[in-house]
Amino acid sequence: MNQSIRLFSAALALALAGVASAHHSAVQFDFTKQVKYTGVVKEFAAINPHMRMTIEIKDDKGLHTVKFEGHSTNNMYRSGYRKGMVAVGDTITVSAAPYRDGTMGGYVIAAEKPDGQYFGMRSTRAQDAAKAAEETRKTAEGK
Amino acid sequence: MAQSGRVVKTVAGVALAVSAALCAAAEQRPDFTGVWTNAGGPGIGGATNTAPAAPPAMKPEAKARVDAYQKLVAKSGDSPGGWCLGTGMPGSMLGSGGYPMEIIQRPEQITVVYEAHAEVRRIYFGDRNAAEADRVPGRNGYSSGHWEGNTLVVETNNLVDQIDQRNTSHSENATIVERYSFDGKDAQGRQILKAEMTMTDPDFYTAPVKITKRWAQVPNGRVLPYECNEEMWRDRIEKLATEAGVPVP
Repeated sequence: MNQSIRLFSAALALALAGVASAHHSAVQFDFTKQVKYTGVVKEFAAINPHMRMTIEIKDDKGLHTVKFEGHSTNNMYRSGYRKGMVAVGDTITVSAAPYRDGTMGGYVIAAEKPDGQYFGMRSTRAQDAAKAAEETRKTAEGK
Repeated sequence: MAQSGRVVKTVAGVALAVSAALCAAAEQRPDFTGVWTNAGGPGIGGATNTAPAAPPAMKPEAKARVDAYQKLVAKSGDSPGGWCLGTGMPGSMLGSGGYPMEIIQRPEQITVVYEAHAEVRRIYFGDRNAAEADRVPGRNGYSSGHWEGNTLVVETNNLVDQIDQRNTSHSENATIVERYSFDGKDAQGRQILKAEMTMTDPDFYTAPVKITKRWAQVPNGRVLPYECNEEMWRDRIEKLATEAGVPVP
């Protein structure tokens, strides 16, 4: 992550909650929690105002088709996403703010592929604020 | 003839001097051109939830409308932005959903492009202003600007009723004054642009609503394209395909 992205992320982290709630019905997601799923991409679209992703997850209860939404294309690019990074058939690990009603899936905070390709915002409001403050402090101290 | 020639030369000379003085003044203005992001951080204003220090004194009938609207959307979380409607004033200048903005400054017009919803405000100076009758009402209203020393003063009216503004709902009769000035640098060495907003709305408030917003410059920054309706258009095509019994083309 280069310096400009890092600086932007610090500001973005503080803005995250506002951005999320500015679009659609973010009230259905619990941004104070984080869940993680690994599966195979069935559908993916980097679109505005929210990205969409469907992955197929296999566990001891069987096969689940799980739907996610996430940030705008703009914020995904600022957090490391680039065209072609996610394709149907890819194995992917998704970190998400879960649905409040317990439905599998959620609002994508970050996603990582086995080859290390990654994009992502920070996870929760409290962690965002703490990390952003720490980055600001380090920058101010020239570290 | 000789005398009239001297008069012409004198008038021309004065005109040139005045013109040069005006140019010099224009050149001395602060240049806000560039990309700006929410300054954020403790003590210098929030990112997107910019709000007055104290809740503004709202008239009962206005408060009843705002409360009814907020109750209506509370469960679903719907918002204008969620339906791809631009943020509108003063939300656009107070944060624009956490996205950056670009200012393009010319002497006769300043253009502000907010990345979210690709929202654009045009601030006209002097003769560039449209006649009052030709000013089209809208969520961002009509803005005219002038300079007071190194401070850019922007007055916005011709707004439409917006009970859906976050913290700053208003009627169509609101007037918003913004005062922009440089405000030093932050701990990260970024140039800070301060925007002091005063909204006056006799229909909604018993006193002016004041909020200060700070933006931080992004050197060599770029505002990205933002086409908001992609998701809704995709849904529409999927619905048409389902109804027609065909796969999505």
